Amino acid sequence: MQNARAVRALPARRSRARDVLGRDWKPAWLFLAPLLVVLLGLIAYPFFSAIVLSLEYKMVGAPAEWVGLGNYAELLWGPQYSPIFRHSVVVSFLYTVVAILAKLVLGMSMALLLNEKFKGRSFMRGLLFLPWAMPSLIVALSWRWIYDGTPNGMINLIRIDWFHAKTLVQFLANPDYALWSVIVATIWQGTPFWTMMLLAGMQAIPDQLYEAAAIDGANVMQRFRFVTVPQLGSVLVVTCLLSTIWTANSINFIYILTRGGPAGATMTFPMLAFDVGVTGARQMGMAAAISVLFFPIFIVAIYFLTKHMLSSEARS
Amino acid sequence: MTTSASVRLVRRLVLVVGLGFFTLWTLFPIYWIVSTSLKPNAEIYGDAALWPRSLTFIHFDEIFNQTRFGTYFRNSLEVSVLTTVCAMAIGVLAAYALTRLTFTGRTFVARSVIVTYLVPGSLLFIPVFQLAYTLGLTDKALGLVVVYLIGTVPFCTWLAISYFNTIPHELEDAAMVDGANRLQSLLFIILPLALPALAVIALFAFTNSWNEFLFALLLIGRDSEKTIPAGLAGLINGDVFQWGALMAGALITALPPVAIYVLAQRWVVSGLASGAVKH
Repeated sequence: MQNARAVRALPARRSRARDVLGRDWKPAWLFLAPLLVVLLGLIAYPFFSAIVLSLEYKMVGAPAEWVGLGNYAELLWGPQYSPIFRHSVVVSFLYTVVAILAKLVLGMSMALLLNEKFKGRSFMRGLLFLPWAMPSLIVALSWRWIYDGTPNGMINLIRIDWFHAKTLVQFLANPDYALWSVIVATIWQGTPFWTMMLLAGMQAIPDQLYEAAAIDGANVMQRFRFVTVPQLGSVLVVTCLLSTIWTANSINFIYILTRGGPAGATMTFPMLAFDVGVTGARQMGMAAAISVLFFPIFIVAIYFLTKHMLSSEARS
Repeated sequence: MTTSASVRLVRRLVLVVGLGFFTLWTLFPIYWIVSTSLKPNAEIYGDAALWPRSLTFIHFDEIFNQTRFGTYFRNSLEVSVLTTVCAMAIGVLAAYALTRLTFTGRTFVARSVIVTYLVPGSLLFIPVFQLAYTLGLTDKALGLVVVYLIGTVPFCTWLAISYFNTIPHELEDAAMVDGANRLQSLLFIILPLALPALAVIALFAFTNSWNEFLFALLLIGRDSEKTIPAGLAGLINGDVFQWGALMAGALITALPPVAIYVLAQRWVVSGLASGAVKH
């Protein structure tokens, strides 16, 4: 820009600003301005206001009242909120761990199959990745219809038509089944992401490693155990961390399928925060405290991911 | 000889059985959407049929002529296109500064982009909801554009950074010697080279906004401003679902992102692997 040329023309006068702020500081911050507005105004500001909000008693549309750590105390030990909060911790943990493990196993199997050479491989890839491309609202709605507790729902219909079942299964209304049913739906949509990441990782493994292992007499399982898994190491860690953050915090499926019910059986912590803050009691301070309490877990994941992504940027 | 033949047979068997299982697993929900949208109500309710006995387009007629699906569709398109344009412009400018310019704080800003990309949505939901009300972004389809920048800008920026890093600096140095300024260099040297990559970033931003529904459901109450997700939710009256029309709407809603994905599959998958994009 003109300023950059001016800087070049008058090195002596401008050199101190350039030393401190860097050679291109003027165009750089100009180009970054819109990004900074979004990062600060739409992400950092809400982030800190969540923390402030968590220290207040705040109903929607009413003035806030400072309560210090009162919301946290209520969540951890209070008579009204601590039972449902503790329950949501258990549900969140189950939901996230089971979904991640299943996506890992299914995604790895799918990736291993798609990594083989066979006719129609790219077609199969396109087909098996379809769930990832579909809007999650649509996926959740269709699973709600698949699980429908009347004889018209797909699974109940199959049970009646093929297995002559006499009773109907209430997949989403029965507290014993609801969580598992929601998890299956999230696995259906979430697995292709794992497959894509693992497949990309597998294709970066040099063929020589497999050839060398084969010469050493390693069988299929040994080649998987001693070549594929170690070589996929960082891809596995990154995928696992990303998937954990997204799975644990997303309420898309729960919102459409069960809204946290029946009897809190699918009430993960973000769904509880949403329920307490937005749709139910409308206690925004308490809702913010629920989300903030879980944040430390994700800080660890964010720290490792940030380090990894920055170092891979530096390498490219 | 026999062992290698049997190994080949086992390999083939595993492949066929495995792929067969995953094909069924992937297709059965999709089959249920498509078949429900084409079945007459008599076969959806009442005498329910797993395999349709007759086909009808009545549910597509319902969704277009008895609801304001057309309006919802247009709103969704507007919101998604506008979000994409804004997020791309912001991301590309920032990525240029972060990959090509020398200034203090570069690493800090780059790190902030990743961190904000990873900040859990559940933490931001309540305050963003509050902010949207304070700023008067409710009941306007265009208000959603502002909210959607939260989800799209950090990852557009991050993807643009990783693509810009692959473009050699020498090309630009030559232009700068000829007196081009930074903006000209970005517009005329970098962008044309990054065009395919930019298309992928745009597709991600578009589908991200097209698929979002939580804010859409909560912030938009007026029927004429609803995007498709909020509109489809309106088809649910209490506990009564008009499944035929709902699945017809679902099918149409899924088409744009699926079509985009099928057309751009190769680039989408490699972009995803390199940038670790949201699923």
